[in-house]
Amino acid sequence: MNRLLRMSFGAPILLAASLAFGSAQAETLTLYTSQPDADAAKTVEAFRKVNPEVEVQVFRSGTSDIMSKLAAEFSAGAPQADVLLIADAVSMESLKKQGKLKVYEKANVEGFSPDSYDPQKTYFGSKLITTGIAYNSGATAKPEHWSDLTKAEYKGMIVMPSPLYSGAAAYMLSGFAAKPDLGWDYFEKLKSNEVVSVRGNGAVLKSVASGEKPYGILVDFMALNAKAKGSPVEFVFPSEGVPAVTEPVAIMSSAKNLPAAEKFVDFILSDDGQKLALSQGYLPAKPSIGRPSWLPEGVKVKIMPIETQEVLEKTDADKAKFSQMFGG
Amino acid sequence: MTMQTEERQGFDTALIAGVIFIVATLSVVPMFRLVLEIVLPQGGLSSAPLRAALSSSATWTATWHSLQVGIGGTLLAVALGTSVALLVSLTDVRGRSAFVLLYVVPLLIAPQVTALAWLQLFGPASPVLKLLGMAPPLGSKNPLYSTTGIILLLGVQYGPLVFLIVRAGLRKLPRELVEAGLSGGAGRWTVLRTVILPLMTPSIIGATALAFVSCVGNFGIPAFLGIPANYLVLPTLIYQRLAGGGPAVLSEVAVLSMLIGIIAMAGILAQDYISRRRDYRIASTSLPSAPFELGRWRPFVEALMWLLIVVVLVLPVVGLFLTSLVSAYGVPLNRKTVTLANYGFVMFDHAAASRAFLNSFSLSIAAALFAVIIAVPLAYMITWRQRWWTSGLNLLAELPYALPGVVLAIASLLLFLKPLPIVGLHIYNTIWIILYAYLARFLVLALRPTISGLHQIDRSLEEAAQVAGARLTYRMRTIVFPLVAPATLAGGVLIFMTAFSELTVSALLWASGSETIGVVIFSFEQGGDSNYAAAISVLTVAITFFLMLLTNLFAQHLPTGVLPWRD
Repeated sequence: MNRLLRMSFGAPILLAASLAFGSAQAETLTLYTSQPDADAAKTVEAFRKVNPEVEVQVFRSGTSDIMSKLAAEFSAGAPQADVLLIADAVSMESLKKQGKLKVYEKANVEGFSPDSYDPQKTYFGSKLITTGIAYNSGATAKPEHWSDLTKAEYKGMIVMPSPLYSGAAAYMLSGFAAKPDLGWDYFEKLKSNEVVSVRGNGAVLKSVASGEKPYGILVDFMALNAKAKGSPVEFVFPSEGVPAVTEPVAIMSSAKNLPAAEKFVDFILSDDGQKLALSQGYLPAKPSIGRPSWLPEGVKVKIMPIETQEVLEKTDADKAKFSQMFGG
Repeated sequence: MTMQTEERQGFDTALIAGVIFIVATLSVVPMFRLVLEIVLPQGGLSSAPLRAALSSSATWTATWHSLQVGIGGTLLAVALGTSVALLVSLTDVRGRSAFVLLYVVPLLIAPQVTALAWLQLFGPASPVLKLLGMAPPLGSKNPLYSTTGIILLLGVQYGPLVFLIVRAGLRKLPRELVEAGLSGGAGRWTVLRTVILPLMTPSIIGATALAFVSCVGNFGIPAFLGIPANYLVLPTLIYQRLAGGGPAVLSEVAVLSMLIGIIAMAGILAQDYISRRRDYRIASTSLPSAPFELGRWRPFVEALMWLLIVVVLVLPVVGLFLTSLVSAYGVPLNRKTVTLANYGFVMFDHAAASRAFLNSFSLSIAAALFAVIIAVPLAYMITWRQRWWTSGLNLLAELPYALPGVVLAIASLLLFLKPLPIVGLHIYNTIWIILYAYLARFLVLALRPTISGLHQIDRSLEEAAQVAGARLTYRMRTIVFPLVAPATLAGGVLIFMTAFSELTVSALLWASGSETIGVVIFSFEQGGDSNYAAAISVLTVAITFFLMLLTNLFAQHLPTGVLPWRD
């Protein structure tokens, strides 16, 4: 019994020591990202392979959710993030306007298309993510156009990501609302067709794959990656065009660990970082890296032209209006 | 000699003071900090957060929902738990110990795992229904995403809690009264209605209050079933506010956590009031009365009881297991799609998940060991060294466990958001803040069995040592601890199991690097990766069940009633 006792007294001390050692490691980089959990974990892992001395803390949530967290942190005077990797340029523009982003002059943008990054070099697009329509392969109808979702046969069968959570969805909302052929009228029709809005693209995928709601508005890579893994999911790029976001990376002007933040941006824009994105099933922003298997060479996807500045002005009002209509 | 005695007394006083200090740090300090935040938000005299919280319609909707599922879940748990307890204790059903072991399992499985398991049973993606070819058509909603679903699962989760308390009460049922009633010509139902149930009122009321507190404080079940349906209760509202707003909204969520604390307290006070109104004292404790013979009904009742096990335990666990084997969500399980890849991913590939296993393991071992070490001197003071204030000490140790977990989590956040004054200790956003909350919350799970153990042990051995001049620390180590060790260690095992897949507290306190298993399951499910969530859940259920069976091997060394799953 005596030995047992000594052991039981000794163990917590040892444990405490090991925990203290673990948390007191060298430099930490705080990353806020909207990448899906598993992808974010792989991104960090690959980054650390190149920069093993940097310890990375990740906060993961939807882009709109991250924006409200940042706003709260600004008002408390204690922004935590060093570097951001979030869905869309509009959110970045809004932060840039408030002076929250740092200019990274030395970022290597060679081989990237000039419209993929901010000319003032505060944020840099890392991939191209479009939003289209996903449907369960057991579903009876095969949607091809955005307008199909307003038809009676889809009533009560559609799910979409909430713009209050997802950045890609917020971008789509404002983009569509500004189009004369879609506009708020389109969302009114979706509403009367009993479309449900849920927390994020992950929740949409689950709903579509499970068949609880066989049709969903969803980002391309999630649907097509799930399909590649055998999920009963199909995906279409509606022929009128799809909204596309660039998942930019940016350094916060309040970054506590600037060198590590710069290394992170370097990594995302490097060929290694771009190849990682490709291996995760994304379309990398750097064209020379290649295309994911779901988008063979020659296949053209029509990107819907959306004016970033215009969206920036209207996004808050649009989100509020959406929230009143769909309740979340 | 006198010098030695003084030195000895000095040691003793230091030990006693140390124990009191620890209990105060874990109970009084956080609660005081919480109340302070409500009176003086952010250190200034302002009623803005209070008004902001109380004028929001979301607050009152969530309060109403909390009451709804709290009362509904409690009623179901009491109905289930009481009837099972009556059947097991009063009748001649067979296979009792196996039944009790299995019936208590849902109580030891984390609520979020229960929720996840049940979700896999219904809806068009259910692997079970797909195997049976009974899956509902596309577009049908999972019926569990509803108020009824939450109430049902709360009832299943806490039915065993009611069962355990009522069963303990039934063990003390006086045989004389039952026999007097029967020989006086009363039928069994009359005896049940007029003798047994009235005598069991205190147990049933106590169990009701405990079930109510557990139901309104539960986070895992409404988080998995309510958030997707936009049905928020107070704990999930607090979680969403804090996740979206960060430390800036702390004052406001402090008010919300106080609200849930008040509701829980109202339950406890109501229980106290009702049980004081009448005198329920039982004259004698005697041999257990002869079991009621069920006669030809016996096979029927037994079948019904095992059906209950199949419904509340076997089916959900099978659903969970099947989901964890499917290659992608929504795929029917067959020879082609069956895979162990989900297990490989969560154990080896996903850094946060493998880190979470280590974190949760360290946290629960540390919490269990700490509680075992503190519980012995604390219980010693409460039982063998009674003073006027020792029962107060017991109450303080109970407080962080009696109140809903979110209350303690918010209090810990407030306490450690800024570095501690003077010492400059900063544990916000580290694993240490979770450890602190676990120590506070789970201490009582080791304290209770230790107290009941000490009540059953004769004090003379320790008194002899005291007369012979042994110091308190020495007596503690060589006499008290060895005597009561089995009970205390069983409490430690209970803590390990509870803390291992805990979610309520860690959902609010975790940061990257300090994820717990509960948090990882929750974020996988929220991100749509139910297969991964199911794989981790299956592992935790397996660990829990393995520990239950393992401790059963040592059961003959334990005082009765220490292992809840052992009949």
